[in-house]
Amino acid sequence: MRAPLSALVLLAAAATPALASSEAEAAAKPGLLDPHLGLMTWTIIVFVLLMIGLKTFAFGPILEAVSGREQAIRDAIAAAERDRAEAAKLIAEQKAAIEAARGEAQRYIAEGRATAEQMRNELLEQARKQQAEMIDNAHKSIEAEKAKAIAELRREAVDLALAGAGKLIGQKLDAAADRQLVEQYLTSLGGK
Amino acid sequence: MTLRSLVATLALLVLAASPAHAAGTGSACHVPEAGHEGKVDIITPHITNGDHVEIPYWKFPFFLECTLPKWQPIHVGPLEIDLSPTKHVVMLWIGAALLFLVMLLVRRAHARAVTRGGVPTGGANAIEAMILYIRNEVILPNVGHHGEGFVPYLLTAFFMILTLNLLGLVPFGSTATGNISVTATLAILTFLTVEIAGIRANGVGYLNTIFYWNNELPAPMRPLMFLIMSPVEMIGKLTKPFALAIRLFANMTAGHIVVLALMGLIFEFGNLISGAPLVMATLIMVLELFVAFLQAFIFTLLSSVFIGQIREAHH
Repeated sequence: MRAPLSALVLLAAAATPALASSEAEAAAKPGLLDPHLGLMTWTIIVFVLLMIGLKTFAFGPILEAVSGREQAIRDAIAAAERDRAEAAKLIAEQKAAIEAARGEAQRYIAEGRATAEQMRNELLEQARKQQAEMIDNAHKSIEAEKAKAIAELRREAVDLALAGAGKLIGQKLDAAADRQLVEQYLTSLGGK
Repeated sequence: MTLRSLVATLALLVLAASPAHAAGTGSACHVPEAGHEGKVDIITPHITNGDHVEIPYWKFPFFLECTLPKWQPIHVGPLEIDLSPTKHVVMLWIGAALLFLVMLLVRRAHARAVTRGGVPTGGANAIEAMILYIRNEVILPNVGHHGEGFVPYLLTAFFMILTLNLLGLVPFGSTATGNISVTATLAILTFLTVEIAGIRANGVGYLNTIFYWNNELPAPMRPLMFLIMSPVEMIGKLTKPFALAIRLFANMTAGHIVVLALMGLIFEFGNLISGAPLVMATLIMVLELFVAFLQAFIFTLLSSVFIGQIREAHH
């Protein structure tokens, strides 16, 4: 019992310096996974200071400027869009105006053409009517002249016949009754 | 405070924080002693934290080792916090100062462009494009409506992680985001942001994201499902930041290990063929450049998604 106990004590005594020396070794040569409270504290200090500093002096102003720029670009785009819409509206108006003008012109031309056509027809009609009238008049006057000539001729013929017959029978025929007789005869001739 | 004086103050701050200043004040910087016999572990010191930084030096071996000052640890309750600067703390300072300076310059270029009524050109425009992309395509769609309040946190997380990732690729630099303490802290900050967002969006309904109580189940099933599902909900809650921390840490560490291992091949073989690893290491370095952006992006994207999820939880 005593021997093992003393052995244990000895072992512990022997182990202690060994342990201490290995600890010293470890302290001199830091291991890869040893946590280091000082370094952790420094990390927190440096990180927090850096975050406050960067936020105040760098990220804040930079992001603000960027958002300002974004706003400016957005405004410019909106303005451009507005201008474009305006231009499109103007173009549409212009186009409509041109279209209207063209339609009007077309209408005027068509109207002019129709008027000319109508006028021509009217003139033609008038000319034709006039012509017909003139022909008609001519016919009438010819007819009248003819009738007059016939009447003249007839009277002349009656006179001649009467004179001839008077000479032939040596006496003066009763003018009115003979004339009537002859004229009746002539009329019966003319009637044939 | 005008911007010019602010920039000047910042430049002074960077100088004060840089190890070069330390070199001037004390004898903290020295040429590293050469002549290690046998094989030396070059990878572990590179990827782990340390109490010294390396700065460029004009003579062989072209760098100085500067031992950083040791401060008395402070006590907060039962915790003993050693705030003395370490390699990664210095990288945090440099990264933050650099990022702040760059952002101020961007902002100034921006202000100038705006007064001119135009858009900034060149680098300022590139940074602006990144800010806008992260805000409009990553943060706002994922966080959901009225997500503007989360933009500063997530943008800062993105740019800080990106800067620290990239600083790890610079000669004499070290990857602070390859340290589990840094990534865990960032993940804890995201966790807190997510939970606070959940409380603000859901009110008492926030408890539903911790305890599972489904009123659509038949009554006797409810306590049973409560007992089964509640631990799942809680584990799910904690897994997300855990995955965030491990993902960033592992990605940043792995690339450096690969590059250093390829470099190690040169010393291992030491003949003409050993030029080949140089090509591979260069290509891995290019990949690392991509990964630096990718991991910053992923961290931001997932944080946004988590915030969005918990804000939508009551639907």
